[in-house]
Amino acid sequence: MKIWQCQQCGFEYDEAKGWPEEDIAPGTKWEDIPDDWSCPDCGAAKADFEMVEVG
Amino acid sequence: MKVVIVGTGVAGASAAIALRNEGHRGPITLIGSDPEDPYRRPPLSKDFLGGTMPVERTRLKPPTIWAEKEIELIKGANAESIDVGGKTIHLDSGQVLQYDQLLLATGGRPKVLKSEFMDMTHVYTLRHLRDVAPLRNELNAGSHLVVVGAGLIGSEVAATAKGLGVKVTILEAASAPIARLMPAWLGEKVASLHKDMGVKMVMNARIESFNQYEGGVRISMASGNRIDANAVLVAIGMTPNIELAANAEIEVADGIVVDAYGRTSQDSVWAAGDVANMENGFLGGRYRIEHWTNAQDHGVAVAKNILGQNAPYNPVPWCWSDQYGVSLQICGWPDASDDVGVRGDINSNSFLTFFHRKGRLVGSIAFSKPKELRAIRELIGKSPFISPELLSDPKVDLAELAKSQIEAEQFENKRNETAAIKDLVRER
Ligand SMILES: Cc1cc2nc3c(=O)[nH]c(=O)nc-3n(C[C@H](O)[C@H](O)[C@H](O)COP(=O)(O)OP(=O)(O)OC[C@H]3O[C@@H](n4cnc5c(N)ncnc54)[C@H](O)[C@@H]3O)c2cc1C
Ligand SMILES: [Zn+2]
Repeated sequence: MKIWQCQQCGFEYDEAKGWPEEDIAPGTKWEDIPDDWSCPDCGAAKADFEMVEVG
Repeated sequence: MKVVIVGTGVAGASAAIALRNEGHRGPITLIGSDPEDPYRRPPLSKDFLGGTMPVERTRLKPPTIWAEKEIELIKGANAESIDVGGKTIHLDSGQVLQYDQLLLATGGRPKVLKSEFMDMTHVYTLRHLRDVAPLRNELNAGSHLVVVGAGLIGSEVAATAKGLGVKVTILEAASAPIARLMPAWLGEKVASLHKDMGVKMVMNARIESFNQYEGGVRISMASGNRIDANAVLVAIGMTPNIELAANAEIEVADGIVVDAYGRTSQDSVWAAGDVANMENGFLGGRYRIEHWTNAQDHGVAVAKNILGQNAPYNPVPWCWSDQYGVSLQICGWPDASDDVGVRGDINSNSFLTFFHRKGRLVGSIAFSKPKELRAIRELIGKSPFISPELLSDPKVDLAELAKSQIEAEQFENKRNETAAIKDLVRER
Protein backbone atom coordinates (compact mmCIF):
# COMPACT_ATOMS: atom_id res chain seq x y z
CA MET A 1 0.00 0.00 0.00
CA LYS A 2 1.14 3.56 -0.56
CA ILE A 3 0.44 6.74 1.32
CA TRP A 4 1.54 10.32 0.79
CA GLN A 5 3.49 11.87 3.60
CA CYS A 6 4.10 15.57 4.19
CA GLN A 7 7.88 16.03 4.14
CA GLN A 8 7.58 18.83 6.59
CA CYS A 9 5.47 17.54 9.45
CA GLY A 10 4.86 13.88 8.71
CA PHE A 11 1.09 14.18 8.11
CA GLU A 12 -0.16 11.20 6.11
CA TYR A 13 -2.76 11.15 3.37
CA ASP A 14 -4.35 7.78 2.77
CA GLU A 15 -6.47 7.58 -0.39
CA ALA A 16 -8.76 4.96 1.14
CA LYS A 17 -9.64 7.27 4.01
CA GLY A 18 -9.64 10.57 2.14
CA TRP A 19 -9.85 13.67 4.30
CA PRO A 20 -13.51 14.23 5.13
CA GLU A 21 -12.70 17.30 7.28
CA GLU A 22 -12.09 19.17 4.03
CA ASP A 23 -14.66 17.32 1.94
CA ILE A 24 -12.12 15.04 0.30
CA ALA A 25 -14.14 11.85 0.05
CA PRO A 26 -12.71 8.44 0.96
CA GLY A 27 -11.21 6.90 -2.17
CA THR A 28 -10.04 10.22 -3.64
CA LYS A 29 -6.85 9.65 -5.61
CA TRP A 30 -3.84 11.79 -4.78
CA GLU A 31 -3.77 13.13 -8.36
CA ASP A 32 -7.34 14.35 -7.97
CA ILE A 33 -6.61 16.56 -4.99
CA PRO A 34 -6.32 20.19 -6.15
CA ASP A 35 -2.79 21.56 -6.48
CA ASP A 36 -3.51 24.42 -4.13
CA TRP A 37 -4.49 22.09 -1.31
CA SER A 38 -2.37 22.50 1.84
CA CYS A 39 -1.27 20.03 4.45
CA PRO A 40 -4.02 20.12 7.11
CA ASP A 41 -1.46 20.01 9.90
CA CYS A 42 1.39 22.27 8.91
CA GLY A 43 0.16 24.08 5.81
CA ALA A 44 2.88 22.81 3.48
CA ALA A 45 2.00 22.74 -0.22
CA LYS A 46 0.80 19.59 -2.02
CA ALA A 47 4.17 19.53 -3.80
CA ASP A 48 5.84 18.97 -0.42
CA PHE A 49 4.33 15.50 -0.12
CA GLU A 50 6.17 12.35 -1.09
CA MET A 51 4.84 8.89 -1.68
CA VAL A 52 5.92 6.19 0.76
CA GLU A 53 5.30 2.47 0.48
CA VAL A 54 3.98 0.96 3.70
CA GLY A 55 2.94 -2.44 4.92
CA MET B 1 37.10 20.57 1.08
CA LYS B 2 35.97 18.56 4.09
CA VAL B 3 32.78 19.63 5.86
CA VAL B 4 31.98 18.45 9.38
CA ILE B 5 28.49 18.99 10.81
CA VAL B 6 27.68 18.63 14.52
CA GLY B 7 24.08 17.65 15.29
CA THR B 8 21.89 15.09 13.54
CA GLY B 9 18.67 17.09 14.04
CA VAL B 10 16.81 18.45 11.05
CA ALA B 11 19.16 21.42 10.61
CA GLY B 12 22.34 19.32 10.48
CA ALA B 13 20.86 16.48 8.45
CA SER B 14 19.23 18.81 5.92
CA ALA B 15 22.50 20.70 5.54
CA ALA B 16 24.42 17.48 4.83
CA ILE B 17 22.00 16.46 2.10
CA ALA B 18 21.90 19.97 0.65
CA LEU B 19 25.71 20.06 0.38
CA ARG B 20 25.59 16.94 -1.78
CA ASN B 21 22.59 18.08 -3.79
CA GLU B 22 24.36 21.38 -4.52
CA GLY B 23 27.30 19.53 -6.01
CA HIS B 24 29.81 19.31 -3.17
CA ARG B 25 32.10 16.35 -3.87
CA GLY B 26 34.42 16.36 -0.89
CA PRO B 27 33.87 14.42 2.32
CA ILE B 28 30.90 15.22 4.57
CA THR B 29 30.76 13.96 8.16
CA LEU B 30 27.59 14.29 10.23
CA ILE B 31 28.12 13.71 13.96
CA GLY B 32 25.41 13.45 16.59
CA SER B 33 25.15 12.44 20.21
CA ASP B 34 21.78 10.84 19.46
CA PRO B 35 22.16 7.09 18.79
CA GLU B 36 19.29 7.17 16.27
CA ASP B 37 19.23 7.91 12.55
CA PRO B 38 17.94 11.45 12.01
CA TYR B 39 14.22 11.69 12.85
CA ARG B 40 11.37 14.21 13.05
CA ARG B 41 10.67 15.65 16.46
CA PRO B 42 7.16 17.03 15.78
CA PRO B 43 5.38 13.62 15.95
CA LEU B 44 7.06 12.84 19.30
CA SER B 45 4.40 14.79 21.18
CA LYS B 46 1.60 13.92 18.76
CA ASP B 47 0.94 10.73 16.71
CA PHE B 48 4.07 8.88 17.74
CA LEU B 49 3.42 9.41 21.45
CA GLY B 50 -0.21 8.44 20.86
CA GLY B 51 0.93 5.17 19.30
CA THR B 52 -0.70 5.71 15.90
CA MET B 53 2.53 6.35 13.95
CA PRO B 54 5.12 3.59 13.64
CA VAL B 55 8.71 4.53 14.39
CA GLU B 56 9.84 4.08 10.76
CA ARG B 57 7.67 7.00 9.78
CA THR B 58 9.35 9.34 12.23
CA ARG B 59 12.57 8.96 10.22
CA LEU B 60 13.65 12.10 8.45
CA LYS B 61 14.82 10.18 5.37
CA PRO B 62 14.96 6.57 4.18
CA PRO B 63 17.77 4.79 6.07
CA THR B 64 19.76 4.18 2.88
CA ILE B 65 20.16 7.84 2.00
CA TRP B 66 23.35 8.45 4.03
CA ALA B 67 25.27 5.77 2.19
CA GLU B 68 23.80 6.80 -1.16
CA LYS B 69 24.81 10.42 -0.68
CA GLU B 70 28.19 9.38 0.75
CA ILE B 71 27.56 11.17 4.02
CA GLU B 72 29.54 9.67 6.88
CA LEU B 73 27.04 9.45 9.75
CA ILE B 74 28.61 9.08 13.20
CA LYS B 75 25.81 8.44 15.70
CA GLY B 76 26.03 8.33 19.48
CA ALA B 77 29.16 10.49 19.62
CA ASN B 78 29.35 13.77 21.47
CA ALA B 79 31.62 16.52 20.15
CA GLU B 80 33.60 17.65 23.18
CA SER B 81 35.80 20.46 21.93
CA ILE B 82 36.83 22.43 18.89
CA ASP B 83 40.30 23.71 18.12
CA VAL B 84 39.50 26.56 15.76
CA GLY B 85 43.20 27.27 15.11
CA GLY B 86 44.08 23.72 14.17
CA LYS B 87 40.62 23.15 12.59
CA THR B 88 39.96 19.95 14.47
CA ILE B 89 37.04 18.66 16.48
CA HIS B 90 37.37 16.17 19.32
CA LEU B 91 34.74 13.53 20.04
CA ASP B 92 34.07 11.76 23.34
CA SER B 93 35.08 8.52 21.63
CA GLY B 94 38.61 9.91 21.41
CA GLN B 95 38.31 10.40 17.67
CA VAL B 96 39.71 13.65 16.27
CA LEU B 97 38.32 14.99 13.00
CA GLN B 98 39.93 17.54 10.72
CA TYR B 99 37.63 20.03 8.98
CA ASP B 100 37.84 22.77 6.42
CA GLN B 101 34.34 24.06 7.21
CA LEU B 102 32.42 23.29 10.39
CA LEU B 103 28.66 23.65 10.88
CA LEU B 104 27.26 23.68 14.40
CA ALA B 105 23.62 22.54 14.46
CA THR B 106 23.51 21.56 18.10
CA GLY B 107 19.89 22.58 18.74
CA GLY B 108 18.73 22.65 22.32
CA ARG B 109 17.75 20.68 25.38
CA PRO B 110 14.70 20.97 27.60
CA LYS B 111 14.73 23.57 30.34
CA VAL B 112 14.36 21.89 33.70
CA LEU B 113 13.25 22.48 37.26
CA LYS B 114 15.57 21.83 40.24
CA SER B 115 17.59 18.67 39.74
CA GLU B 116 16.18 17.12 42.94
CA PHE B 117 12.76 17.26 41.21
CA MET B 118 14.01 16.11 37.82
CA ASP B 119 15.84 13.12 39.30
CA MET B 120 12.67 11.64 40.77
CA THR B 121 11.12 8.65 39.06
CA HIS B 122 7.95 9.43 37.05
CA VAL B 123 9.29 12.89 36.10
CA TYR B 124 10.03 13.34 32.40
CA THR B 125 11.09 15.73 29.67
CA LEU B 126 10.49 15.25 25.96
CA ARG B 127 12.92 16.09 23.21
CA HIS B 128 14.47 12.85 21.94
CA LEU B 129 12.98 9.71 20.45
CA ARG B 130 14.23 7.75 23.46
CA ASP B 131 12.12 9.96 25.75
CA VAL B 132 8.88 8.72 24.22
CA ALA B 133 8.61 5.07 25.32
CA PRO B 134 9.02 5.71 29.08
CA LEU B 135 6.47 8.53 28.94
CA ARG B 136 4.02 6.49 26.88
CA ASN B 137 4.29 3.66 29.42
CA GLU B 138 2.83 6.03 31.99
CA LEU B 139 -0.13 7.03 29.84
CA ASN B 140 -2.57 4.37 30.97
CA ALA B 141 -6.29 5.03 30.99
CA GLY B 142 -7.31 6.43 34.36
CA SER B 143 -3.83 7.45 35.50
CA HIS B 144 -3.07 11.11 36.21
CA LEU B 145 -0.52 13.07 34.18
CA VAL B 146 0.54 16.53 35.28
CA VAL B 147 2.08 18.67 32.55
CA VAL B 148 4.19 21.55 33.77
CA GLY B 149 4.13 24.26 31.09
CA ALA B 150 1.34 25.05 28.62
CA GLY B 151 3.61 25.82 25.67
CA LEU B 152 3.25 23.99 22.38
CA ILE B 153 4.84 20.74 23.53
CA GLY B 154 3.05 20.64 26.88
CA SER B 155 -0.31 21.38 25.26
CA GLU B 156 0.24 18.71 22.62
CA VAL B 157 1.22 16.05 25.13
CA ALA B 158 -1.87 16.94 27.20
CA ALA B 159 -4.08 16.47 24.14
CA THR B 160 -2.40 13.18 23.18
CA ALA B 161 -2.66 11.83 26.74
CA LYS B 162 -6.32 12.83 26.92
CA GLY B 163 -6.90 10.82 23.75
CA LEU B 164 -5.52 7.78 25.58
CA GLY B 165 -8.01 8.18 28.42
CA VAL B 166 -5.53 9.71 30.86
CA LYS B 167 -6.58 12.31 33.43
CA VAL B 168 -4.59 15.47 32.69
CA THR B 169 -3.76 18.62 34.65
CA ILE B 170 -1.70 21.45 33.13
CA LEU B 171 0.20 23.81 35.43
CA GLU B 172 1.25 27.05 33.75
CA ALA B 173 3.08 29.97 35.34
CA ALA B 174 1.66 32.54 32.88
CA SER B 175 -1.96 33.64 32.79
CA ALA B 176 -2.77 31.79 29.54
CA PRO B 177 -1.35 28.93 27.42
CA ILE B 178 1.28 29.43 24.69
CA ALA B 179 2.06 32.82 26.17
CA ARG B 180 5.38 33.17 24.36
CA LEU B 181 3.78 32.95 20.93
CA MET B 182 0.26 34.33 21.19
CA PRO B 183 -1.67 37.03 23.03
CA ALA B 184 -3.60 35.92 26.10
CA TRP B 185 -7.03 36.35 24.48
CA LEU B 186 -6.07 33.74 21.87
CA GLY B 187 -4.37 31.60 24.49
CA GLU B 188 -7.77 31.50 26.22
CA LYS B 189 -9.12 29.92 23.07
CA VAL B 190 -6.54 27.14 23.38
CA ALA B 191 -7.36 26.83 27.08
CA SER B 192 -11.02 26.26 26.27
CA LEU B 193 -10.16 23.54 23.74
CA HIS B 194 -8.46 21.70 26.59
CA LYS B 195 -11.15 22.42 29.15
CA ASP B 196 -13.85 21.19 26.77
CA MET B 197 -12.00 17.89 26.59
CA GLY B 198 -11.84 17.65 30.38
CA VAL B 199 -8.25 18.77 30.97
CA LYS B 200 -7.79 20.71 34.18
CA MET B 201 -6.02 24.01 33.45
CA VAL B 202 -4.26 25.79 36.31
CA MET B 203 -2.91 29.17 35.19
CA ASN B 204 -0.63 31.47 37.25
CA ALA B 205 0.58 28.28 38.91
CA ARG B 206 3.46 28.44 41.40
CA ILE B 207 5.08 25.12 42.22
CA GLU B 208 6.60 24.85 45.67
CA SER B 209 7.94 21.31 45.77
CA PHE B 210 7.79 17.76 44.47
CA ASN B 211 7.67 14.80 46.85
CA GLN B 212 8.20 11.28 45.66
CA TYR B 213 5.80 8.59 46.78
CA GLU B 214 5.44 5.07 45.55
CA GLY B 215 3.78 5.19 42.16
CA GLY B 216 4.03 8.92 41.69
CA VAL B 217 4.88 12.46 42.70
CA ARG B 218 3.01 14.79 45.04
CA ILE B 219 3.20 18.41 43.87
CA SER B 220 2.75 21.15 46.46
CA MET B 221 1.63 24.49 45.15
CA ALA B 222 2.27 27.92 46.65
CA SER B 223 -1.51 28.25 46.95
CA GLY B 224 -1.45 25.38 49.43
CA ASN B 225 -3.03 22.92 47.00
CA ARG B 226 -1.54 19.46 46.58
CA ILE B 227 -1.73 17.44 43.41
CA ASP B 228 -0.92 13.75 43.22
CA ALA B 229 0.42 12.73 39.82
CA ASN B 230 1.29 9.28 38.48
CA ALA B 231 3.61 11.04 36.06
CA VAL B 232 4.88 14.57 35.48
CA LEU B 233 6.06 16.01 32.17
CA VAL B 234 8.18 19.14 32.51
CA ALA B 235 7.80 21.15 29.28
CA ILE B 236 8.91 24.69 30.12
CA GLY B 237 10.95 25.55 27.05
CA MET B 238 14.41 24.83 25.69
CA THR B 239 17.94 26.01 26.30
CA PRO B 240 20.24 26.29 23.26
CA ASN B 241 23.30 23.99 23.30
CA ILE B 242 26.00 26.65 23.10
CA GLU B 243 28.72 25.18 25.33
CA LEU B 244 30.74 23.58 22.52
CA ALA B 245 30.88 26.94 20.73
CA ALA B 246 31.41 29.05 23.85
CA ASN B 247 34.39 26.93 24.94
CA ALA B 248 35.99 27.55 21.56
CA GLU B 249 35.55 31.31 22.06
CA ILE B 250 32.90 31.55 19.39
CA GLU B 251 30.57 34.43 20.20
CA VAL B 252 27.38 33.36 21.94
CA ALA B 253 24.47 35.35 23.32
CA ASP B 254 21.15 33.58 23.56
CA GLY B 255 22.44 30.97 21.12
CA ILE B 256 25.41 31.03 18.76
CA VAL B 257 25.60 34.45 17.14
CA VAL B 258 25.48 34.28 13.31
CA ASP B 259 25.27 36.79 10.49
CA ALA B 260 22.70 36.62 7.69
CA TYR B 261 24.79 33.96 5.94
CA GLY B 262 25.14 31.71 8.98
CA ARG B 263 28.76 32.64 9.79
CA THR B 264 29.83 32.69 13.42
CA SER B 265 32.53 34.96 14.84
CA GLN B 266 35.18 32.33 13.95
CA ASP B 267 36.52 31.75 10.51
CA SER B 268 35.12 28.64 8.77
CA VAL B 269 32.64 27.93 11.57
CA TRP B 270 28.91 28.25 10.84
CA ALA B 271 25.72 27.64 12.80
CA ALA B 272 22.09 26.88 11.90
CA GLY B 273 18.74 25.86 13.38
CA ASP B 274 17.38 26.23 16.91
CA VAL B 275 20.82 27.11 18.27
CA ALA B 276 21.46 30.06 15.93
CA ASN B 277 20.92 33.59 17.15
CA MET B 278 20.26 35.60 14.01
CA GLU B 279 19.28 39.03 12.81
CA ASN B 280 15.64 39.77 12.15
CA GLY B 281 15.90 41.28 8.67
CA PHE B 282 12.32 42.54 8.72
CA LEU B 283 11.92 44.19 12.11
CA GLY B 284 15.50 44.55 13.32
CA GLY B 285 17.05 43.09 16.46
CA ARG B 286 18.27 39.54 17.03
CA TYR B 287 16.43 36.39 17.98
CA ARG B 288 16.34 32.63 17.85
CA ILE B 289 13.62 30.64 16.12
CA GLU B 290 12.64 27.30 17.67
CA HIS B 291 10.56 25.85 14.87
CA TRP B 292 10.91 22.95 12.51
CA THR B 293 10.67 24.71 9.15
CA ASN B 294 13.27 27.28 10.11
CA ALA B 295 15.71 24.61 11.27
CA GLN B 296 15.30 22.77 7.96
CA ASP B 297 15.51 25.86 5.74
CA HIS B 298 18.34 27.43 7.72
CA GLY B 299 20.40 24.22 7.45
CA VAL B 300 19.93 24.22 3.68
CA ALA B 301 20.66 27.94 3.33
CA VAL B 302 23.88 27.76 5.34
CA ALA B 303 25.01 24.66 3.42
CA LYS B 304 24.71 26.69 0.22
CA ASN B 305 26.66 29.55 1.76
CA ILE B 306 29.40 27.15 2.84
CA LEU B 307 29.68 26.34 -0.86
CA GLY B 308 30.05 30.05 -1.62
CA GLN B 309 26.57 30.93 -2.84
CA ASN B 310 26.37 34.00 -0.59
CA ALA B 311 22.60 34.16 -0.18
CA PRO B 312 21.37 35.90 2.97
CA TYR B 313 18.79 33.96 4.97
CA ASN B 314 15.86 36.00 6.17
CA PRO B 315 12.86 33.85 7.06
CA VAL B 316 9.34 34.64 8.17
CA PRO B 317 9.18 32.21 11.10
CA TRP B 318 6.22 29.92 11.41
CA CYS B 319 5.14 26.78 13.17
CA TRP B 320 2.16 24.53 13.56
CA SER B 321 0.70 22.53 16.37
CA ASP B 322 -2.02 19.93 16.48
CA GLN B 323 -4.37 19.62 19.44
CA TYR B 324 -7.60 17.60 19.37
CA GLY B 325 -7.61 17.76 15.58
CA VAL B 326 -7.40 21.57 15.54
CA SER B 327 -4.41 22.71 13.54
CA LEU B 328 -2.92 25.77 15.13
CA GLN B 329 -0.47 27.80 13.05
CA ILE B 330 1.52 30.84 13.99
CA CYS B 331 3.66 32.94 11.68
CA GLY B 332 5.65 36.15 11.80
CA TRP B 333 5.80 38.29 14.92
CA PRO B 334 2.32 38.78 16.38
CA ASP B 335 3.84 40.23 19.55
CA ALA B 336 5.39 43.12 17.60
CA SER B 337 2.01 44.42 16.44
CA ASP B 338 -0.15 47.42 17.27
CA ASP B 339 -3.31 46.25 15.51
CA VAL B 340 -5.18 43.00 15.06
CA GLY B 341 -7.87 41.81 12.66
CA VAL B 342 -10.00 38.70 12.42
CA ARG B 343 -11.17 36.69 9.45
CA GLY B 344 -13.99 34.25 10.11
CA ASP B 345 -15.84 33.45 13.31
CA ILE B 346 -13.68 33.66 16.38
CA ASN B 347 -16.20 31.59 18.34
CA SER B 348 -15.68 28.64 16.02
CA ASN B 349 -12.59 26.43 15.77
CA SER B 350 -11.74 27.65 12.29
CA PHE B 351 -10.67 31.28 11.88
CA LEU B 352 -7.64 33.42 11.24
CA THR B 353 -6.23 36.46 13.00
CA PHE B 354 -3.68 38.84 11.49
CA PHE B 355 -1.48 41.45 13.05
CA HIS B 356 -0.27 44.80 11.70
CA ARG B 357 2.37 47.19 12.88
CA LYS B 358 2.26 50.72 11.50
CA GLY B 359 0.23 49.50 8.54
CA ARG B 360 2.55 46.62 7.82
CA LEU B 361 1.40 43.01 8.09
CA VAL B 362 3.72 41.32 10.60
CA GLY B 363 2.03 38.17 11.85
CA SER B 364 -0.86 35.76 11.81
CA ILE B 365 -2.35 33.08 14.02
CA ALA B 366 -4.74 30.59 12.48
CA PHE B 367 -6.98 27.87 13.81
CA SER B 368 -7.45 25.23 11.11
CA LYS B 369 -6.91 27.59 8.17
CA PRO B 370 -3.69 26.19 6.64
CA LYS B 371 -4.21 27.46 3.12
CA GLU B 372 -5.03 31.00 4.21
CA LEU B 373 -2.16 31.13 6.66
CA ARG B 374 0.21 30.13 3.89
CA ALA B 375 -1.04 33.09 1.82
CA ILE B 376 -0.54 35.48 4.74
CA ARG B 377 2.96 34.20 5.32
CA GLU B 378 3.84 34.94 1.70
CA LEU B 379 2.46 38.45 2.08
CA ILE B 380 4.44 39.13 5.26
CA GLY B 381 7.62 38.21 3.45
CA LYS B 382 6.99 39.76 0.05
CA SER B 383 4.25 42.38 0.11
CA PRO B 384 3.32 43.35 3.66
CA PHE B 385 1.64 46.74 3.13
CA ILE B 386 -1.86 45.45 2.72
CA SER B 387 -4.99 46.75 4.36
CA PRO B 388 -6.69 44.88 7.20
CA GLU B 389 -10.09 45.46 5.54
CA LEU B 390 -9.02 43.44 2.52
CA LEU B 391 -7.70 40.59 4.64
CA SER B 392 -10.85 40.30 6.73
CA ASP B 393 -13.22 40.43 3.75
CA PRO B 394 -14.66 36.91 3.38
CA LYS B 395 -15.27 37.54 -0.33
CA VAL B 396 -11.54 37.96 -0.95
CA ASP B 397 -9.66 34.73 -1.71
CA LEU B 398 -6.44 35.13 0.25
CA ALA B 399 -4.36 32.79 -1.91
CA GLU B 400 -5.30 34.74 -5.04
CA LEU B 401 -4.84 38.05 -3.31
CA ALA B 402 -1.33 37.09 -2.21
CA LYS B 403 -0.44 35.92 -5.69
CA SER B 404 -1.62 39.06 -7.50
CA GLN B 405 -0.27 41.35 -4.80
CA ILE B 406 3.20 39.79 -4.95
CA GLU B 407 3.25 39.78 -8.75
CA ALA B 408 2.32 43.47 -8.77
CA GLU B 409 5.04 44.21 -6.24
CA GLN B 410 7.65 42.36 -8.28
CA PHE B 411 6.53 44.14 -11.43
CA GLU B 412 6.85 47.47 -9.62
CA ASN B 413 10.31 46.54 -8.33
CA LYS B 414 11.43 45.61 -11.83
CA ARG B 415 10.11 48.89 -13.19
CA ASN B 416 11.92 50.86 -10.53
CA GLU B 417 15.07 48.95 -11.23
CA THR B 418 14.83 49.56 -14.95
CA ALA B 419 14.15 53.26 -14.33
CA ALA B 420 17.13 53.48 -11.99
CA ILE B 421 19.39 51.86 -14.59
CA LYS B 422 18.12 54.27 -17.26
CA ASP B 423 18.80 57.23 -14.95
CA LEU B 424 22.29 55.93 -14.36
CA VAL B 425 22.94 55.53 -18.07
CA ARG B 426 21.61 59.05 -18.71
CA GLU B 427 23.87 60.53 -16.02
CA ARG B 428 26.89 58.97 -17.62
C1 LIG C 1 8.35 17.09 21.09
C2 LIG C 1 8.58 18.19 20.11
C3 LIG C 1 7.58 18.57 19.22
C4 LIG C 1 7.78 19.59 18.31
N1 LIG C 1 6.77 19.95 17.46
C5 LIG C 1 6.94 20.96 16.58
C6 LIG C 1 5.90 21.34 15.70
O1 LIG C 1 4.82 20.77 15.70
N2 LIG C 1 6.14 22.35 14.83
C7 LIG C 1 7.33 23.01 14.81
O2 LIG C 1 7.49 23.93 13.99
N3 LIG C 1 8.35 22.67 15.62
C8 LIG C 1 8.16 21.66 16.51
N4 LIG C 1 9.20 21.31 17.37
C9 LIG C 1 10.48 22.06 17.29
C10 LIG C 1 11.40 21.45 16.25
O3 LIG C 1 11.43 20.07 16.38
C11 LIG C 1 12.81 22.05 16.40
O4 LIG C 1 12.71 23.40 16.01
C12 LIG C 1 13.86 21.35 15.54
O5 LIG C 1 13.97 20.01 15.91
C13 LIG C 1 15.21 22.03 15.65
O6 LIG C 1 16.14 21.33 14.88
P1 LIG C 1 17.74 21.49 15.08
O7 LIG C 1 18.34 20.55 14.11
O8 LIG C 1 18.08 22.92 15.01
O9 LIG C 1 18.02 21.06 16.58
P2 LIG C 1 17.74 19.68 17.34
O10 LIG C 1 16.55 19.01 16.76
O11 LIG C 1 17.74 20.01 18.78
O12 LIG C 1 19.01 18.78 17.00
C14 LIG C 1 20.28 19.05 17.53
C15 LIG C 1 21.05 17.76 17.66
O13 LIG C 1 22.39 18.05 18.00
C16 LIG C 1 22.84 17.11 18.95
N5 LIG C 1 23.98 17.68 19.68
C17 LIG C 1 23.99 18.78 20.48
N6 LIG C 1 25.24 19.02 20.96
C18 LIG C 1 26.04 18.06 20.45
C19 LIG C 1 27.44 17.77 20.57
N7 LIG C 1 28.26 18.53 21.30
N8 LIG C 1 27.93 16.70 19.90
C20 LIG C 1 27.12 15.91 19.15
N9 LIG C 1 25.79 16.15 18.99
C21 LIG C 1 25.25 17.21 19.63
C22 LIG C 1 21.61 16.86 19.80
O14 LIG C 1 21.71 15.64 20.47
C23 LIG C 1 20.52 16.86 18.75
O15 LIG C 1 20.30 15.59 18.22
C24 LIG C 1 9.02 20.27 18.29
C25 LIG C 1 10.04 19.90 19.18
C26 LIG C 1 9.84 18.87 20.07
C27 LIG C 1 10.94 18.48 21.02
ZN1 LIG D 1 2.53 18.91 6.91
